[in-house]
Amino acid sequence: MAIKIQSLTKSYGKQSVLENLNLHIKEGEIFGLLGSNGAGKTTLISILNYLESKESGDITILEKEYDTNKAYIQSNSSYIPQSYAFYPELTAYENLEFFAALYKVQSQEIKEKIQEALKMTALEKYKNTKAKEFSGGLKRRLNIAIGLLNNPKILYLDEPTVGIDPQSRKYILDIIKDINKTQNTTIVYTSHYMDEIEYLCDEIAILDEKHIVKKDTKQNLLDENGLVTIQIEDETIKINTHNGYEEFTKCIVALEKENQKILSINYGNKSLEEMFLKITKQDLRD
Amino acid sequence: MFLYILKKEFLLVFRNMHALLVLFVMPSAFIIIMSLALQNTYSNKIDVKFKVLVSSDNESRSVKDLLFKLETNNFFEIHYANGVVKDENSLYKKGYDYLVYIPNNYLKSIQNNSDLQIDIYSKPESSIQNINLLKNLLSSNISKQLIKNLLIQLDVDTTQTKDFYNNIQHHYISKENSFQMTSVQQSVPAWLIFSMFFILIPISNTFINEKNFGTLRRIKSIDVSMFPILLGKVIPYYIINLVQVSFMILVGMFLMPLLGTDALQIQGNFGLIFIVASSVSLAAISFALVIANVAQKSEDATSIGGISNIILAALGGIMVPKFIMPEKMQEISELSPMSWALDGFLEVFVNGGTFTDIQSSIFKLSIFAILCFIIAYILLQRKR
Repeated sequence: MAIKIQSLTKSYGKQSVLENLNLHIKEGEIFGLLGSNGAGKTTLISILNYLESKESGDITILEKEYDTNKAYIQSNSSYIPQSYAFYPELTAYENLEFFAALYKVQSQEIKEKIQEALKMTALEKYKNTKAKEFSGGLKRRLNIAIGLLNNPKILYLDEPTVGIDPQSRKYILDIIKDINKTQNTTIVYTSHYMDEIEYLCDEIAILDEKHIVKKDTKQNLLDENGLVTIQIEDETIKINTHNGYEEFTKCIVALEKENQKILSINYGNKSLEEMFLKITKQDLRD
Repeated sequence: MFLYILKKEFLLVFRNMHALLVLFVMPSAFIIIMSLALQNTYSNKIDVKFKVLVSSDNESRSVKDLLFKLETNNFFEIHYANGVVKDENSLYKKGYDYLVYIPNNYLKSIQNNSDLQIDIYSKPESSIQNINLLKNLLSSNISKQLIKNLLIQLDVDTTQTKDFYNNIQHHYISKENSFQMTSVQQSVPAWLIFSMFFILIPISNTFINEKNFGTLRRIKSIDVSMFPILLGKVIPYYIINLVQVSFMILVGMFLMPLLGTDALQIQGNFGLIFIVASSVSLAAISFALVIANVAQKSEDATSIGGISNIILAALGGIMVPKFIMPEKMQEISELSPMSWALDGFLEVFVNGGTFTDIQSSIFKLSIFAILCFIIAYILLQRKR
């Protein structure tokens, strides 16, 4: 298990943000954390990265106790914040060099590590360009490249595609998939874009009102989405239409032949987004 | 790791040329302006004299003699008008700074010990020092007239009497070589200190950018101590401060004489200047780090830092020389680190002081620097 959280509680003054939160994230998976604004996603990620203190609860990361293994956990994980957390006045290479030194990469390995990170994020030809001259997409890639310098076992990405065009977004998602595949890095990914989560994640959790309100594999959630419920007089028939409507059509034809009266058909959630809105029971939250 | 932290800081500093330029242009401008403006405060040579209109009922012999005597002073330009002139018009339209009315029979009245009043009129903003100077000028010259009259009555040959004023000579004594205090001598260290403390603006801007861009947050998620991060910010700015000191000394020594003022003279040891400059720099940088930690936005840092620097400068004798301040203000000024810095620099620049003479300034500045650095470190550690 990459991350185990039990009964995590956190509040700011009198305002409770996380309450008895439990969560398990498997090693090597891409884990999607969904939640509306203010749900506590960033607080949770911040606690896992020692940027916020927890109030109570037990956390184990990479099989190590959170409270007593800060140095080990920090050096084996990497946090990529939502903002462009680098120096715009420095070139991509200079930024990477500085952060590599902070990650305590040995001097003789710095060049090699930077090269790897540049290659992984396809930034080689921009390495000598000042970050302030980058487009939004390139800035996002540099943000990710910095996070790869310490070969993290866990990579936390906090809404890493905010404010960029669809092409760059797709490119970044592929980079993240590639990092997970080639380096077996556990990825904890937060986003508001459901299509990203659907494209990227193996497992998904929805954080709402201080708790994890839903957690399952992407497949199960999608199957649940495609579940059509047919109500006849004395029976409820459930058909999974995730892979097509052939079975559903056959069922309707059969019921017709048998002269069964169909009382109602429930088509389930059309998408992850509809499911998210239904679970969080709201259309708009301040 | 520390070398890369330093490299990053140096690159950030030198790529912000506008901020750097301000650190050199601003104090140079202040030194030039203030040295020229204060030139008269430290000199007996006055370019612009105050215009004085002396009036009396008529220009009697004694009045004529008094006017002749008054004309030889360095500070006032004497004019004469018949009749009593004490109208607003003369002050506000004709441009006189002072109006003096002397009754015609003033000498007799003094000799007879009868009531006599000589009136001086001026604008409300006139300095009391200048009014007193004019009073002294009038009373000393009237005294001279009285003495002369007395000597004549005693049959003493007054043609041989000398003006004793010229026999009173003033000498400055410094600890090594004697030389005269000038406006440049006061302005260079004063405005140099002010500009060294203005290092606050570039430091806080880079620091606040780190906070606002989330860079600091990212750094804190890495297993790294905040101590080298903070120390890395001190060294480049310390070097800039030392370059400022050298540059301003060169301005004082070589540029100011070209503009018609005295050249900066350094009587003390250059090693001592380096020690004072180092302690001032560390105090200024540590103070800047505290402000940068407290401020949320660049605008906050600019206003908090700017205002606190101006208050410290006003209190510390940078804007107004301390010796002009009343005793209470001089005591309050002792609370300003800029005052400790100015004492240290003046001790070396003007008095040719030794290490013993500057050790108190260095001690206070060092304690201030250490305290500020510790506060900045704690604030940075605690910031979430």
